[in-house]
Amino acid sequence: MMINLIDPLKIAYNSILSNKLRSLLTTLGVIIGVAAVITLVSMGEGAKSYILGQIGSWGLGANSLAIHPGKEEVALPELTLTYGDNEALRQKVGNLQYLMPEFVGRGRLVYGHREYQPAYTLAVSADYPFAYKQQAVVGRFFSRAEEEGRRHVVVIGRTVVDKLFGAYSPVGEKIKINGVGFTIIGILEEKGTLLFYNMDDIVLIPTTLAEQVLGVTKIWEIFLTVENEKDVPQAIIDIKKTLIARHRKEDFHIHTQQGLIDIINNILNALTAIVSAIAAISLLVGGIGIMNIMLVAVTERTREIGIRKAIGAKNRDIFLQFVFESILITMTGALFGIMIGTLAAWGIMYFLKMSAAIAWGAAYLACFVALLVGLFFGVYPAMRAARLDPVEALRFEV
Amino acid sequence: MKDNVVVRITEVKRFYQMGMVAVHALGGINLKVEKSEFVSIMGPSGCGKSTLMHIIGCLDRPTSGHVHLDEVDIDKLDDNELAAIRNKKVGFVFQTFNLLPKLKAIENVELPLIYAGVGLPARRKKATELLEIVGLKDRMYHRPSELSGGQSQRVAVARALANNPSIILADEPTGNLDSKSGEEIIRLFQELNSRGITLIIVTHDQEIANHGKRIIRLKDGLVVADDRVTARSR
Ligand SMILES: Nc1ncnc2c1ncn2[C@@H]1O[C@H](COP(=O)(O)OP(=O)(O)O)[C@@H](O)[C@H]1O
Ligand SMILES: [Mg+2]
Repeated sequence: MMINLIDPLKIAYNSILSNKLRSLLTTLGVIIGVAAVITLVSMGEGAKSYILGQIGSWGLGANSLAIHPGKEEVALPELTLTYGDNEALRQKVGNLQYLMPEFVGRGRLVYGHREYQPAYTLAVSADYPFAYKQQAVVGRFFSRAEEEGRRHVVVIGRTVVDKLFGAYSPVGEKIKINGVGFTIIGILEEKGTLLFYNMDDIVLIPTTLAEQVLGVTKIWEIFLTVENEKDVPQAIIDIKKTLIARHRKEDFHIHTQQGLIDIINNILNALTAIVSAIAAISLLVGGIGIMNIMLVAVTERTREIGIRKAIGAKNRDIFLQFVFESILITMTGALFGIMIGTLAAWGIMYFLKMSAAIAWGAAYLACFVALLVGLFFGVYPAMRAARLDPVEALRFEV
Repeated sequence: MKDNVVVRITEVKRFYQMGMVAVHALGGINLKVEKSEFVSIMGPSGCGKSTLMHIIGCLDRPTSGHVHLDEVDIDKLDDNELAAIRNKKVGFVFQTFNLLPKLKAIENVELPLIYAGVGLPARRKKATELLEIVGLKDRMYHRPSELSGGQSQRVAVARALANNPSIILADEPTGNLDSKSGEEIIRLFQELNSRGITLIIVTHDQEIANHGKRIIRLKDGLVVADDRVTARSR
């Protein structure tokens, strides 16, 4: 005989509707657990695509590599890379496109009686605008000839312009950086903030003046790009060979875009794992709450069960009615959780000026888990209901 | 004629174990009810009337003895089969109506049809017909709380009739009603009986019992009298 599932489902549905508030409170644990996971996953996907988009807009494409000093990434590495290393790489790396060493220092800028210290004063190569995709929008960037000729030219960011010159254009003006005279030849395109660094609060001078002006002899980072993404593995080999030959040890490490994506993924996965653990606990607590409420419901509705049995409900009918009720409650909780979680993610991401992705996968999973929770914690109360003796149940007085 | 026997009770006993003592609710009942009979069961409170009704209606099983309903030996049936018998062959009417308060009148009448696996259009139609028969066509979409006692009991009668049962069992159906409503219910029973429906009702009221065709008196779990209602006693 075919089991009729529609009618017990309807009965369960009606009984939930007639007790809306209690059903909602019952499933609060499920709502919170699901909402937490959905919020995080939606934000995580959005944040990931935002970060990768930002990185891409900075020229950090799949064909780019970054060499950092030190065997592995640490906060304050001992700087080991030199300008000589940079020039050796220029000779040895195959299909090299742009080569961008970066010396990081502190520069005190003086213009007339005004002074300003930007966040970063960097000594970079003439490839900067191409490697980092940040052009000079007013004036121009310095050329390789000017770099090699140790010309005292400087390109400054928008924040620096605002601080020192206000509204009027500073191109052609003379300023002093740490007491050394420079001519401003360009203003950088505005880039805003990348990963919490204000990339408009910078000053760029040629690499060849790093030691004289900033007192820095070691390179913070060598950024380079190759012609094509598929040249990256060979470039890594070339870099390692060249630098190990010069240093006699591997006192540097290489970042690729894939590495960056891996790091972002690791962070997101760790966060997801933590939130999932919290969600699991809240689902467990929610599930026990549901079992408790269902046991109360069975007691309260003993007489109803007796009546139903007297007019022909089989044990299975009663069982299904209560199991479905429990599943419907948890599934409703999951749907509310998905809605609340998605809205929360959209709200937060709107506030952060990023866009959230709808976490379909997590939503399906949440529904499935809610179904399992409803089933697992609903079975025992439903069994109690189904096993009630009809005569006893009919005599029951609330 | 064998075919006409709806209920056959043979040496039925029912004990309740209350700690150390066994309460004899039924002490050995023999009873035969034929098709189209209208039987009233009377007796003092606690004499076993309800217990007997539960056993006839397959809600309960005897401690010993045999129950045949439509010549089917219910001892041999499992709980699911008993539920099916209650659904198809028995219609219960209770003193306290026992309607589901959250369902409308028509939905209450449909319940036995749901458990019989009848689809929505067919059961709506059947429930509507039944509510018409009991005179509640204009109260179909009311909930029990919006109905008087007499109206509620008529909904319960309609529900009992839903699957065209072999027998209607009514345990003090007028116990919670005023005399006028009680009278109406009994007349409804008489009308159903005149259409060939078999009825057993439990009552304390001799007036009510006189409307039936046969009166069985119980005392301490035993049948002490079993009489036809004569025109004179009416
Ligand atoms: N579940 C039960 N447990 C113990 N004793 C019961 C139970 N049900 C009925 N009885 C006892 O069985 C006897 C018959 O009860 P019942 O059939 O309800 O009587 P009536 O309906 O005639 O008033 C009474 O003495 C009653 O106390
Ligand atoms: Mg009784």
